[in-house]
Amino acid sequence: MCSHMVVCVLIPRFELAVAAGGREVLAAGPVALAPEAGREQLVGEASAAAEAFGVRAGVRLGEALARCPQLRLVTPDPAGVADEWERLVTGLENVGAAVEPGRPGLAWFDARGLRNLHGGTVEGVIAAARRALGTPARLGAAPSRFAALAAASRARVRRAEIAPPKLAAYLAPLPVDLLSGRPETAALPEALERFGIRTLGELAAVPRAALADRFGAAGPLAKDLARGKDSPLKPRRPAESIEERLELPESASGQQLERALGLLIDRLLARRERRGRPLRAAVLGAKLVEGGSWRARVTFREALVDPRRMRLVLVPRLNELPAPADALRLKAEGFGPPTGDQRSLLAEAAAVRAARLREAVRQARAAAGPDAALRILPVDPDSRVPERRLALTPWDP
Amino acid sequence: MKGPRRLAEPRPATVSAAGDGRPQTVDGRRVEAVRESWLIEDRWWTDAPLRRRYWEIVTADGRNLVAFRDLERGRWYTQR
Repeated sequence: MCSHMVVCVLIPRFELAVAAGGREVLAAGPVALAPEAGREQLVGEASAAAEAFGVRAGVRLGEALARCPQLRLVTPDPAGVADEWERLVTGLENVGAAVEPGRPGLAWFDARGLRNLHGGTVEGVIAAARRALGTPARLGAAPSRFAALAAASRARVRRAEIAPPKLAAYLAPLPVDLLSGRPETAALPEALERFGIRTLGELAAVPRAALADRFGAAGPLAKDLARGKDSPLKPRRPAESIEERLELPESASGQQLERALGLLIDRLLARRERRGRPLRAAVLGAKLVEGGSWRARVTFREALVDPRRMRLVLVPRLNELPAPADALRLKAEGFGPPTGDQRSLLAEAAAVRAARLREAVRQARAAAGPDAALRILPVDPDSRVPERRLALTPWDP
Repeated sequence: MKGPRRLAEPRPATVSAAGDGRPQTVDGRRVEAVRESWLIEDRWWTDAPLRRRYWEIVTADGRNLVAFRDLERGRWYTQR
């Protein structure tokens, strides 16, 4: 057996299952993800029953309802999907896998370094991955990333599929539809089928130049994939992230939401795990009062520690919220190198005092935690419920 | 996950009340006068509605207190 073996984890309709609250809902009837608020009116992932009516991801909402009038639409939950997917990927990383995540519900890792940890065989690695996931998933293994995806597509939930070393022969009878799983070649299957090319074997037989003429760079890439050639995996580096969350007792919008965001920024910056490092990227998320969630990732132009500048960047994103929020969360996803405070050549007395104060607060926090220096923040000063008016938030001099 | 510390969180109180709901003693202090009373109803459209009858009172030892009865749970609290 070839020593290089890529394992693919495939959880079909992952986003739909998470948003619907479980896979059993998918079996109950035709279900599809509703369009995200403020986006183009296209339905998302659809259950098998909905697909039987011709409802697929990317179909216009009106057309989907015309094809299947009894279609049940599920509010998208991008924040819940991201959380659940992160939990599963972290689970795989915990068994030692260096994971390259694709879209939610799809991931690959190389089994080569893991065999000795899990019984010496690929089957042992797959069993360990299955235990780590703890949720029904299709697993396939093959010497290349694309072939592993093809194997996972053919696998059953309880039985993994391991491709033989001769990949071209294994892939030849499989449909070209598999190319849609990769962003670069996603548009090809429809066009190839129009030309009468239905299997990867037929695609592999088409001259490279003809494919390049018709499809550009995607053509030769598709041919390589069909012959079992693929680029090496690019595993992610396990990311460190810290998160703050705030429940909003009164479903919040507008200024109240901005204050809540200010409080989250203060709390995030006061966390000890940050260790003086500035933030490069943050994910702003909200649980919506109407159900579902909203999520926006913001990468700062430069790594920041200044709460006012972070507010300037993040507050406008709150306008994209499609409905009032029940809970707001802010997660730091990337950190810059630790920074010292910039000192001027001729420090003025006030600046020196401020620096001493900052140092005192830093030391107090190191000893007593982030709640060591607080200020009062008016969260919702006009609320009729007294405990909702004011909150304590970390204070930075 | 721990939320932010809020000010003016309600504190459970021992209150004896008259038949009309008017507090007579709060944490062992006799109520001298009721200055004001008001009702708050909120989030009635959710599974966790909030219904409170507030009383602003002056106790016999001269304290000005705000107490409320949680009409959902039937418990008394004081609040600053």
